[in-house]
Parts: sequence; structure tokens; C-alpha cells
Amino acid sequence: MLRESTQITDNEVDLKDVTQGLSEGTQIPNAEALINFAEAIVGRDKAKITETRQVVFEALGNNATVDAAAVASAFHGFVRIADTIGIPYETAARGQDAPEIREAAGVNNFYRIQETG
Amino acid sequence: MSETPFESCTYEVRQDLIDAQLEAWERIAAPGTWLDSAHRIAVVAEIRQARSCDLCSEIKEALSPNAVTGAHTTTGALSGAEVELIHRSVSDPGRLSHAWSQDVLAGGLSEGAYVEIVGIIASVMIMDTATMALGAEETPLPNPVPGEPTRYLPPGAKVQAAWLPIVEPEDVVETDEPLYPSSKVGYIYRGLSMVPESMRNYWAMANTHYLPGEYIYQFDTTIRAISRPQMELMAARVSGLHQCVY
Repeated sequence: MLRESTQITDNEVDLKDVTQGLSEGTQIPNAEALINFAEAIVGRDKAKITETRQVVFEALGNNATVDAAAVASAFHGFVRIADTIGIPYETAARGQDAPEIREAAGVNNFYRIQETG
Repeated sequence: MSETPFESCTYEVRQDLIDAQLEAWERIAAPGTWLDSAHRIAVVAEIRQARSCDLCSEIKEALSPNAVTGAHTTTGALSGAEVELIHRSVSDPGRLSHAWSQDVLAGGLSEGAYVEIVGIIASVMIMDTATMALGAEETPLPNPVPGEPTRYLPPGAKVQAAWLPIVEPEDVVETDEPLYPSSKVGYIYRGLSMVPESMRNYWAMANTHYLPGEYIYQFDTTIRAISRPQMELMAARVSGLHQCVY
């Protein structure tokens, strides 16, 4: 989804940022503010959430702050369905999941792939 | 505590998000397919309890999730298998395995109850995370609603592609309906299909936080206040931090 959305909208993304955090290879407006907010949310660190949310609010406004929070939250649900039901990861992205993309993103080092080969 | 989601929030939250959470909490409080209302609310309480479980913290920090033994810090209202399912799914979902899921089932949990509980976990994780992310108070536990579970088992549900049974689009029967908006829906959508009611309830709420299905593959269109690449960057990073391969 990330790769396709950036290709279509002419933004640049370094796929390894998915596992390693933001790098200069990713050129998406306000990426740093949004990534910092997302990481704080996953960490459930309330002080950091407040701080990073304020940065998003000042840069993008109320509605973007709400939608950024909502999107980050949504993926706290999707990952739990995928990982507890054990849905086949090869079917991700409408069956377009490719080993080389997982490799580039660093996803092949994740537990589930390491465990199942 | 505020009864309405986001009531204490200082940001102006779009109404469809508030409505989606309100409706989701009402559905969670209602009798389910395999669990009654009180049982479902006990699952919510255990989900929240899991966030302060010492054993879960130790497992999360360990190089191997199987290297740590001990007892979860629990509310005491649920079975051991239910507690294990909830705590591990909440605290370390990226390091679950097929063998682990079979151990949970062997602990006395039916496949239907397993899937229904996963639906509640996924829903509550979204809603509690959203309120926390926007600095709002956590929505209080709902009150139980009388009634019996429906115990509806889709006849086409089978273990094939995933660890738990799934209803493939070609196996949907009339009594399952409405199940899928399209025969091409991804496996992430099919995941809860063994419990159709849970699946419908979950996606009605989740899509409001992310995107309705018809917009998922329209990468040059956004209906949110951040662009699609901005959304997907956040989504991918959140998934990556959870070690989610999908």
C-alpha cells in the first residue's frame, strides 16, 4: 500500500523505514512529524504522544491530527487479526506481495517469517 | 469517565468517528455468537488489564517469546486459554505462531470463541488507541445486556488458508449474508469470517478509522485530511513496529 500510494502520487519512500524508522530516502510531506506521532502511539507513552501530537497539529491542523490518530489506531486492530488468525502473508497487497519487497523493507527478519521459513 | 467516546477530547473529532465508536461499544455489549454479554465485557476488561501485565512485559522484552514462563496478571474472570489469547495478542502479536494458536485451542477454547475474542481485541485496540492518541479519556466498560449467543456457525467455514477457519467467498451461503462486499476481498477482511457478526461489526468501525473498502485501492484519492502516502507511511510504521508481516 505504501509503495503503491507513493508511486502514484510521485512521492519517494525508502521501504526500510517501515522497520528502521524515517530516513532521508523518504520524501513525503510532514513525514517526520507523522512518524514520530505514530511511534509514540505504539509506545503508549502519553507524554511523547502529547508532544508529537502538538507538532502534527501545528503543522497540519485539527482534522489532520484526528485522521492521523485514527489511521495509526486502525492498524492496532488490523495487525491483531492478521497475527492471531494466522492469515497467509503471501496474499498481502491483493496477492502482489513480493519477497524482494519484504527483503527491502526488512520484513523478512520478522518472527513469523523466520519461524515458518 | 466520559460515556461518549472522545467527549473529553480537546480536538474536534469528526462525527462519523464518534458514531462508529458508540455503535461498536453497543455491539460489544450485546450478546455475541459464542459469548454472552457479560463474557464479552469481561474480555474488554482483560484486554485493558493486559497492558499492565508483568509477564507480558517480560515476554515482549525476551529474545524468544517461548523463553519466559510465569502467570499473567489477570482480572480472574476468564479461563487460562482466554487470558493467554488476549494477553499475547495485545502485548506481542507479531510473535505468535501456528503452534501457539493450537495450544490456546487445546486449552479449552472453541474456534468460534477464539475468533469472536479476536474480533473484540482488534476493535478495542483500535478504539482505546484512538482515544489515547487524541488525549481523551478511555471509554468506560459498557453495561451488560441480557440475551443468549446465537451460536451461528457458517457451514462453509474451514481451516485452509489460515490457522483458524475462514469462510472463502465461494463458500458463503445465504444465512451468512451479508458477508463480503466483493469476492476479491483480501484475507485481512476474511479473517473474522467464521463469526460473521463479529466480522461485520469490526469492519463497520475499523473502516471509519482508516478507509471504507471502496477507497482502499484508489491511491490517488483521499477522503481524509492527510494524503494517502502520509496515511500509508504511518500505517506501515505501526505495522512494522508490531512485526506484522501482512
